[in-house]
Amino acid sequence: MTTKNFDGRDNENHAVASHTLNICSAARNAGLVITPARSIDVFKTLSCIDISNKDEYQLALRLNLASTKEEEIIFDRVFNSYWNNTPEGEGDYILANSEMIKGSLDAGLSNEGHRDMISESDSFSEAAVARKANLRMRWDPLAPPLHKLIRELSKRLATRPSRRRQNGPHGAKIDIRKSVRKSVPFGMELINLSRTIPKVRKTRIVLLCDVSGSMDVFNPFLLQLMFGVQKTLKNSRTIVFSTQTNDITALLRGHDVVNVLAKVSKTVRHWSGGTNIAKALTDVNRNVLAEGSSRSTVLIVVSDGYDTGDIAGVKRELELAKRRTRSIVWINPMYGSSSFEIRAKTMKAAMPYIDEFLPAFNAQSLLKLVAGLKRLS
Amino acid sequence: MDTQQHFHHPFQHMPDIPELFKAHGYIADRAISLTTKIAFDLGKPILLEGEAGVGKTQLAKTLAAILDTRLIRLQCYEGLDTSSALYEWNYAKQILAIRLAESSKSKQTEIESSIFTEDYLFTRPLLQAVRHGGPTPPVLLIDEIDRADEEFEAYLLELLSDFQVTIPELGTFEAQVRPIVILTSNRTRELNDALKRRCLYLWVDYPSMEKEQEIIAQHVPEIDADLTRSISKIVHNLRSIDFFKKPGVAESLDWAQALLSLKVDSINSEILFDTAGVLLKYKDDIERLKALDMESLIDYKKL
Repeated sequence: MTTKNFDGRDNENHAVASHTLNICSAARNAGLVITPARSIDVFKTLSCIDISNKDEYQLALRLNLASTKEEEIIFDRVFNSYWNNTPEGEGDYILANSEMIKGSLDAGLSNEGHRDMISESDSFSEAAVARKANLRMRWDPLAPPLHKLIRELSKRLATRPSRRRQNGPHGAKIDIRKSVRKSVPFGMELINLSRTIPKVRKTRIVLLCDVSGSMDVFNPFLLQLMFGVQKTLKNSRTIVFSTQTNDITALLRGHDVVNVLAKVSKTVRHWSGGTNIAKALTDVNRNVLAEGSSRSTVLIVVSDGYDTGDIAGVKRELELAKRRTRSIVWINPMYGSSSFEIRAKTMKAAMPYIDEFLPAFNAQSLLKLVAGLKRLS
Repeated sequence: MDTQQHFHHPFQHMPDIPELFKAHGYIADRAISLTTKIAFDLGKPILLEGEAGVGKTQLAKTLAAILDTRLIRLQCYEGLDTSSALYEWNYAKQILAIRLAESSKSKQTEIESSIFTEDYLFTRPLLQAVRHGGPTPPVLLIDEIDRADEEFEAYLLELLSDFQVTIPELGTFEAQVRPIVILTSNRTRELNDALKRRCLYLWVDYPSMEKEQEIIAQHVPEIDADLTRSISKIVHNLRSIDFFKKPGVAESLDWAQALLSLKVDSINSEILFDTAGVLLKYKDDIERLKALDMESLIDYKKL
């Protein structure tokens, strides 16, 4: 096995440039966004460091090519793999993609009472779970975008007045700054007074989507919802879970749906797996809800609630989430069927902590419900 | 034409950088040292992300101390706009001047030209950084950028690329020397890719046990070396537990100071229990700590 050594055989500048480009390319293949501008930045940085020092070289590249903690982990893996000439295990970097992936796979979980809805195997060993779901097949390209729905939902959820103010002709408070500006053409005579009203604080939505096997039939709706939320509300976070949890916020940022779906399929290898709601809630509590203002955060869980996991854990984590958010909205697609009753133990345990329980299974049904929603307090 | 002055910074040689930081009370590892060097060489902003209390803000303060220059801090919050971050006219003073001018029968054009001058301008942190004279640049700390709105982030993007500000009534101000910009984020939301691309990114993690010992010894020099070792060991153990908010370096330093003021020589479970509030900030976490086996947490054998 050969190793790269910029001091010896590959001492020439073109060799360094070639290795650097190869590393950039490998990082790009591993899912990092390496634009030409970033590559240029890397080369500028090389002039500031001692490239014969491996650690310094690695750090300098990482500083420019990674832009999150997770990307730092991916980059280090790619770099070490390239440096040591060892082929990177396909998908290894994917496991590092989320800080949330902490535990090992929970084997043996199965869903209760909904076998008819599960098209995949009911065994959740690592081998069974670690597979790619072809999300392109589950995406409905003809479905209208959900911008209207998401905006409406956001409007209903945003109720908290901000300290900041905005223009409002009937507001009680006079905006001196604008009034003075307006008075300039009238010889600084304050004729038209500008008034302001309090702004309503933006809501930060944390969308927690169940992508276990029992939710497969609702995948087109789920994907639409995830895309819609991420495109419309930039400060939202989207997390998917089955037996593991992945934050796919960054992945959903792309404009090309096909590419985004390919990346999500590649990253979320537990799609259509089992369900562990307690673990998902624990990860969200620790890694997402611990940050930011609880008063402006709304947690939206999209799940059928089928889980034979830790019921006490679900209660404990929902209680904690309740304190860390302004409200919890649970969208249960199964609730849309006429024969539905809350039988799933997890769903029963969760009910006391939920502010809004919505029986939505597609965009139209959710739109109707949202329009009828009273503003959450 | 580049009108900006060139600044010869003290971070030219990598081996000297940790010592330079240490002399100002900051224990910098290799990643921080190299990031600083590259940032100064290339004139790029540094984006620091990490848990609260790991020393992100302190890095900016230390850089200002090393350069013996001004630290200009912009604390971000939701709703932060350019009038709070860049500049604002002193409207009350302007109205007063208008009334005075009217009483002295001044012409309208005279009034207009006199009230839009620097006498009536409130300069906010970003403008202060741009107008800071050379040759030493100021350190501009944009703290908790993730709390600001995306609109502000977009504005910042423009400022960070040119370091010039246009005030319609006064003209364009360009920085004589590029400020050293440090952005910090606690990851309450993902930042814009364009902003990230303009920065050198560094995730600041909790320090290793050895580094934490050094930090405590540096900041609380009166404390006994054995006690320092105990503190860093226990805090390190606590961080391995899945608490809602793990203790940061700031908490370790507070705890060291608390133990010093209590004249504690060695830590036992009773002391840890009584002073838990210094390290853990959530009731659930403190209750969880109480339920743990304190003796194994303190782990005397390994101290």
